[in-house]
Amino acid sequence: MRQILLVANKYRVPVFPRGGGTGLAAACMPTMSGIILSLERMNKISIDKDNLMAEAEAGATLGDLIKAADEAGLFFPLHPGDEGAHIGGLIACNAGGVRAIKTGVMRNYVKGIEVVLPTGEILILGGKLVKNNAGYDLMQLIIGSEGTLGVVTKAWIRLQPRPQASATIIIPFEDRRKALEFVPKIFQIGVFPLAIEYVEKELVDQTAKILGMSWPCKEGKYHLMLILAESSEEALLLECEKLMDLCEKVGVLEPIIAERREEQANILKIRSEIYSALKNELIDILDTTVPPAKMADLIESVNKLAKKYETYIPAFGHAGDGNLHLHLMRKEGWSKDDYDRLRDEIYEKTIQLGGTITGEHGIGYVRRECFKKFVDRKALELMKEIKKAFDPNNILNPDKIFI
Amino acid sequence: MEIIVLIKQVPDIEKVRFDAEKGRIDRSSAPAETNPFDLNALEAAIQLKEKLGGSITVLSMGPKQAESSLRDALARGADKAILLTDGRFAGADTLATAYTLATAIKKLGRFDLIICGEKTVDGDTGQVGPEVAEFLGIPHVAYVSEIREVHQDKLLLISDMGDKYLVEVKLPALITVTKDLNTPRLPSLRDVLKARKKEIEVWNADALSDYGDLDGFGVKGSKTMVVKVVIPSEKGRKGIIFRGEDAAEKLLEVLRENRLVN
Repeated sequence: MRQILLVANKYRVPVFPRGGGTGLAAACMPTMSGIILSLERMNKISIDKDNLMAEAEAGATLGDLIKAADEAGLFFPLHPGDEGAHIGGLIACNAGGVRAIKTGVMRNYVKGIEVVLPTGEILILGGKLVKNNAGYDLMQLIIGSEGTLGVVTKAWIRLQPRPQASATIIIPFEDRRKALEFVPKIFQIGVFPLAIEYVEKELVDQTAKILGMSWPCKEGKYHLMLILAESSEEALLLECEKLMDLCEKVGVLEPIIAERREEQANILKIRSEIYSALKNELIDILDTTVPPAKMADLIESVNKLAKKYETYIPAFGHAGDGNLHLHLMRKEGWSKDDYDRLRDEIYEKTIQLGGTITGEHGIGYVRRECFKKFVDRKALELMKEIKKAFDPNNILNPDKIFI
Repeated sequence: MEIIVLIKQVPDIEKVRFDAEKGRIDRSSAPAETNPFDLNALEAAIQLKEKLGGSITVLSMGPKQAESSLRDALARGADKAILLTDGRFAGADTLATAYTLATAIKKLGRFDLIICGEKTVDGDTGQVGPEVAEFLGIPHVAYVSEIREVHQDKLLLISDMGDKYLVEVKLPALITVTKDLNTPRLPSLRDVLKARKKEIEVWNADALSDYGDLDGFGVKGSKTMVVKVVIPSEKGRKGIIFRGEDAAEKLLEVLRENRLVN
């Protein structure tokens, strides 16, 4: 890897690092002639049970990591989606996904990386360390840099003990605002599920139908789907009791619960496949993120915009993280400008609410213009300086993040 | 309608590992859960109860931990749960199991219908249901994939034995059901929490002594025994790339060797 980057840097040949190709912002897309750097053969994983750490090469997949952890009796909680994603890509894009509430996103799990710089040096940053306070945290700078600062070749990733009991609960609501306002209340009673997903019944019913399945909750139009994972049956039961008390206090429709592995998997499957139900008519997926307690405000603004533009904006997302996936759907007679205008209005509202234009997908290639528009001037200037310091000849993943 | 549903707790069959040397299921390798077909049986019972009223009793034979499956059944809509547990029931083959269950049903008294799953995923025999019916001297219909008509004294059913048969059966009767019959509903969180506090009746062999012969239970009552269990080894997939001018011929050779073409 070092030799490749040395040669590329010498002859100014662009290098495009590529993981599983599962990102959603085209961060791995080559934009000019150059080298596509695939790390898929660097796929070893070993587990250090004593330190609760995985040592994974960049080309190992998320699926490999989950399996290796499971075989060692441990657990990698994060599930950003496609299990074909590579570890290198997950780190480069600081992946998030449905299970980020309890312990955060990719950058919260990565404790060390081995990275090859565009100028050919190999750096080891961090390690199997829980605490590390020596100088600037370059590792965190590289995590989420979307392959523009260095090529991650290996990582040390923190694992957790495997939960012994899990359940998926669906809480139905008649009112959308009430559903979203319920989320902070869950945290306030001290319940921290692995995931809290917001879905709309019409959409999950439609998805289930395509899959030949059925969404198990029949009541209400707006559903919160909670995944609880605890260290014992007793602990799980305690969390369930707290939740039931809260439901009764707030007054929701009748929550249902799945405890069997198969029944839980079916619910997650439908939730994960919503995209399939929409993709034929889909123009763009936004991953706008606001402070969790502002979700209701965001979705209300989005509804108003949908009315104003006379279009349909299906929404679902990681309610516990304030991360909402808004779908811009094809509309007869609309041009790119129309979609862009609607998108920008959503972004403006998001920023007003203290949010960000992307919670997990990143900037990559497709959000560069928006990023330029909404990022702080000085921050952008500093970011460009950082890029220059790492990659003076701009050979590594050019045309990404900045325009 | 008074309905009895027979359920069994089994290991999660997708996760369970086999101990090839001892020829046994390694039960510690997977969590226990209710046999999936039994959930279809319970759902059928709940739907009948919703239509006709009455009550549902779930009955299971197994170790103490099978209680969790009975609680799950109570949460899903059963009214009463009974666990048959005793060292003297252990090691039973299908015949002794059926005899024990039938004896317990005699003790329970009046019923209109017994519903079972078509089989359990750990044993895979599909024998216990029909054998229970034989011990009780009632008619039975296996592999029911549709309940077409429900009357006070009879049912009109579709039995799917590869070909579908339209069957009328007089009550009281026993049916075993397939997964096609329905989609089991999920319990409400409220009912799950309530079910944790409900009482489960536990009967041992002595509790059944007035209704059956103790020698018919467990190993003693079993007419068959497991001599050996052979666990087929898993074959992984293998990719071969044929290169060069004679690639097609080589491929054909391999396909012939494996009798995939003539």
